[in-house]
Parts: sequence; structure tokens; C-alpha cells
Amino acid sequence: MVSPERFASRRLGGGAECAARLLVPMFVAFALLPSPAVAQATAESLLRQYDGAMGPVNFEAKTRMIAHRDDGTTRDYTMKVTKKGDDKFRVQFQAPSAVAGQEMLRVGDNLWVYMPNLKRAVRLANRDSFQGGDFNNADVLRVNYQRDYDGKLEPSCTTAEAHCLDLTAKTKSASYDRVRLWLRKSDGQPIKGEYFGASGKLMRAAEFKDHKAFGGLTRPGKIVMRNMLNLKRFSEMEWQALRTDVDPPAARFVLDDLGK
Amino acid sequence: MMKALSLAKIAARNVLRNQRRTAITLAALVLGVGVMITVRGLLNGLQYSLVDGVVHGQTGAIQVHRKGYLKNVLASPLTLDFEDAPLRAKVAAVAGVKAVAPRILFPGMISLGDETIFLLNQAVDPALEFEVCPNRLTLIVDGGKFASAKGAPAKAQVADAMVVTVELDKALRAKPAAAGPAALLAPDRDGTLSGENVSLVGTMQLNSPGERKIGMVRLDVAQRLLKLEGRVTELVIDVHEIEAIPEVVAAIQAAVGPEFEVHTWEQVAPFVVDIRARQNAVLQIVATVFLLLMLLGVANTMLMSVLDRTREIGTMMAIGVRRRTIVGLFLLEATLIGALGGLLGGAVGAGMTAWLGARGLQIPLPGSSVPTMVRPFIGSGYLVGVVLLATAGALVFALYPAWRASRLRPVQALAGG
Repeated sequence: MVSPERFASRRLGGGAECAARLLVPMFVAFALLPSPAVAQATAESLLRQYDGAMGPVNFEAKTRMIAHRDDGTTRDYTMKVTKKGDDKFRVQFQAPSAVAGQEMLRVGDNLWVYMPNLKRAVRLANRDSFQGGDFNNADVLRVNYQRDYDGKLEPSCTTAEAHCLDLTAKTKSASYDRVRLWLRKSDGQPIKGEYFGASGKLMRAAEFKDHKAFGGLTRPGKIVMRNMLNLKRFSEMEWQALRTDVDPPAARFVLDDLGK
Repeated sequence: MMKALSLAKIAARNVLRNQRRTAITLAALVLGVGVMITVRGLLNGLQYSLVDGVVHGQTGAIQVHRKGYLKNVLASPLTLDFEDAPLRAKVAAVAGVKAVAPRILFPGMISLGDETIFLLNQAVDPALEFEVCPNRLTLIVDGGKFASAKGAPAKAQVADAMVVTVELDKALRAKPAAAGPAALLAPDRDGTLSGENVSLVGTMQLNSPGERKIGMVRLDVAQRLLKLEGRVTELVIDVHEIEAIPEVVAAIQAAVGPEFEVHTWEQVAPFVVDIRARQNAVLQIVATVFLLLMLLGVANTMLMSVLDRTREIGTMMAIGVRRRTIVGLFLLEATLIGALGGLLGGAVGAGMTAWLGARGLQIPLPGSSVPTMVRPFIGSGYLVGVVLLATAGALVFALYPAWRASRLRPVQALAGG
């Protein structure tokens, strides 16, 4: 692990010989550090940071998913994603017309899909594929790695740029049995993920790209999820807009509100 | 010639001389041959029912898909679809084809009340499906709401009817379900999640091993659900003659063209072929053990006969009978016993098989949840083969006793060994 002092001196080029000249830049360096958590990265702090970026407490986002299928064709979906508190999620599909009006709601461990033609909601499983793409439902509607996984830093896959976290599912509702996450040492942002099934088989691999600021929140603007069981298939999820300064009413996260 | 004939006469008399010993040996032979034939007959009936159950209850005799479908079942087989009516007409026109039915196979979820469960679906046309797979009708309990036999009024049929396996039905109703219709959900041809209301009107049993969570839904409901109007992914075909399948397959392939693949039931359900091969191998072992035991009985009888008749053999030799005639005599006796036992055993086995065949047996087939009527039968080739094998085996197993007899020294033999 990199200590704050060495980290600071490295950032400054470590060229200071004189103690007096060294002290000032050191204070500056401390102030410039993104957060102490990165400097003294622990599995807990990294996971907290991951959850903070990927699933802020309250948010409202517009996202687009492009699913690349094995015959080379693509399917393009746009949706509105709303989150409230720890575990209330709602996804409202807007396009294409075949899914417009379809909604998904998660409250705690329960997940439903609302089918406009049936005018009712049907219970779903967390690990089902999300709209036939390569994300599963929990990838989109259950971003709380601190609660779902036990994490530890894994030195064997740590690189010069990134910490490597090995996550083991605590609950059956978690999206995968095991996850490996690579988080940038410089700012704790996720750059890569590998997702394993119960047998230890690599099922999905994600790349986190286009990190950018949405208001006060910096996070990847795009995730590319590859299907490792069928290499021709992958899905891209783009965040077109994201606001965290919202507080959606709790009444929006009940079954009866779906379709309204 | 005269000599051989008189030797045969002597052999026959010798066989009848010690009646108790002959009777015991014959009993062993009759039992052995009888059991071999009955077991084979039983297995024939079992295997016939297994194949019939699969062909007329599940796969049809022949299936047609878009090229690459069978190898691609795990990916997205819905995209390997085709226009139903034109292809079905082409196939129906092929000589030897008895009936054709369209199907779509697709994975999905069935939801009832608060329970949603994964299942494999077969979408079928109730008017056509049961002409290809009539055995399915007996497995469905639906009060005529989903399926109806040919000629029966279709009045009771429900438009969005669906039946699921008994196992799945039980799982769906495990929790006291909230009232309301069931919903069938599945990714459509584009991968988009889609749903339709269905009425669960009954249950079905399965007559083959494998996945137990299976549903059968009306083709029109599935086509609406999957955005596949007028299109299907599979044609199942019944033929007039099972033996003619290879020729019909070739004719269908020629009719539908290289864009499509044509498979026989053996290629679609290889497990049946496996089961059959395994059963035959087990029978082979059992039959061999039985054959060896009864032939050892023959050898024992002959050996005792030689010991008993030492003085007689000595006398024969003393009056100039040649050693090879002695060998011939004993071999002939064993062959006679073998032939007699084989014939009697064959008659008993064939009779037993015929009786069981006429009566029929209710036996649960491998992987099936319901007993099936099994009617044992036996081919004449196998029958003749077993009788010949028993006869020839008796001859071979008598070689050593006969040789022992021919090696006796006349003087010692006359003195009683």
C-alpha cells in the first residue's frame, strides 16, 4: 500500500531536497488528495466509494442500452432509472415502442416487471437477463455491493494503476456468486469487472468507460458488459443524464403506482 | 449311413435310460432357454413402447428446422424461424409422410399469483399436434380445454389455454396463490421481454427423462407473445412406415432445400438409443450367464453318465467299437438333450411371451412418471438362434466327458474303472 507521504512525494516528482521546500508542497498535496480512503485503500473504503459512484442514495437518470446480439444485430433501449434510499429502484422503459410503458420495480429483495398489455406486475428473479441483454436485472436495479458482498483486496491481480477487489456474495439475491473489480488507484473509479457463477465460471466481463462528472458526481458514463459464455454478445449501457439532487416520493415505489 | 443311424438310435435309448437325470438336465435347459427368450421378449416390448412413446408422444418420427438449429438451441433459436404454412405444405406433399405439425420451442417464465418459475415451452397447434403425437393426448388431463382428439368437438377449447407438467403445477400452487390469471413471459424474437395472459387449464405427464418444468401452450398465443405471427421454429412429422424413415428423410430434405435440416427421432432423442444399447448389453450378460450355467449342467450330466457306464464302455471297446465312435455316441447324446431342451425351452419362452404380449404389462418406462402398457414379443430369428445355441453349446460342453470316455482302457473299464 502507498503511504500518503510517499504518494505525495511521488506526485510531486520527489525532487525536493530541502526540508523547508518539502513541507509546503506536502501540505498542498494532502489537500489535493481526492479522499483519504484512496490513499489508505481498504476493501471497505473502496466498496463504499464504488457504491457511492454507481448507486448514489437518491438519483434520477436517463440511460440507453444497446444490446449486440450474436447475429450481429443490435437492440436499442432507452429508459428512466430512479432510485430512492437503500433499495428502492424503478426503471421505466421509453423506447423502442415494443417496450414503452414496461416498468421494473425493486423494493428490498423483491423485483417485479409491469407489463402494460397485461396491466399488472409479475415477479422476476434478480439474475434474469435484463431485457435480453447481457446485464442481469440486479446489475441495473441492485447496486449495493457493500451489502451484497464481502470484499477483500487481492494482491495477485492488483496492477500499477488499479486496486483489485475480490468480492464473495453474502446473499443469494446478489447478482453474482463472485466478482472481481478493478478500481483506479488515482480516484477509486471502477475500470473493469469480472463476474463469476456458482461453479466459478467466468460469465460476464465489464469495462467501465468515459468517466465524467454528472453534477457533483463522477462516475463511468458507459459500461460495456461482455457475455463470456457467448463471445459474440455484449451490451453497452450509457448514462445520458444523471441527477443526484432529487428526492423521489416513496409513493412512486409501490406496485400500485406502476403503469401510472 | 446305417451306422450313423444306429448310433443315433443307441444315443436316444441312452438318453431315455436314466430318466431322472435326463429330466433334471432338461429342466435346467428349458428354464435357461425359456428365461432368455422371455426376458428378450419383455425387453422387445419395453423398447418398442419406449420408442413409440418418444416418436408418437414427443419428437415425431422426423423433425425439420432451419439449418444449425439443433446445434444452436442454447443461443437464440427464435431467430432461426421460418414461415409455417408454405414449408408445411411442401413437407406434407412428400410421399410417406402421414402428418405434419408446427411447433415453437422457447424458454420463458410462468407466473401465477406471487410465484414466477422458469420453464421450457412448447407451442403447438392442438388441431395438428396430436395427429403426429397421439400418445400425448393420453398424458394430458385438461377436460378437453387444450387438446381434443381427432374428430372430437373442439367446443370446450379455451383460446389462451396452456397446460404444464404436474411437477410445475405443484410448484406454482405451493403458496396459496392470489386469484387472477396466469401470465407467460418470454423474451420475444428481438430479446425484448414480452408477456401474455394464459389460462392454466390442466396438467400433463411426461413420458421421457429430462427437464420436468415444461409447459404446452397454443401456437397462436406463443406467436403473439414472441412476435412470430405465422412463423415457427420446428416441424414434426409422422410417417406411414417407421422402416421407411431414411427414404422419407431424404425426400423431405430434397423438398425443403439446403436452408433446412432434417433429423430422425434417433438424432433428436439420442437418449433412447443409449437406453436401448444399455438394456441390450445387460441382457447379453444375463443371457451368457444363464447359458453357461445350463451348459455346465449338461457337462455334469455327461460326466456322470461316463462314470456310470464305465463297464459298458469297456464292453463296447472289447467287442471292437472304435474310440471315435464312443466320442460320437456321447456327443450325440448331449446334442439330443441340448436340442430337446432347447426346443422345449423355446416353446415355453415363446408361449410365455405370447401370453404376456396378449395380456400386456403396465411398466413405468425410464424417466417416465406414468406406467406404460408394454406388450412383449419375440422375433423368430432370435427364437431359432437360442435353440441352436443351446444345442451347439451342449455339444461343445460334452467334448470333455466324451473324450474322457474314449480314453478309458478296456481292461480297467471292464473291471469297473
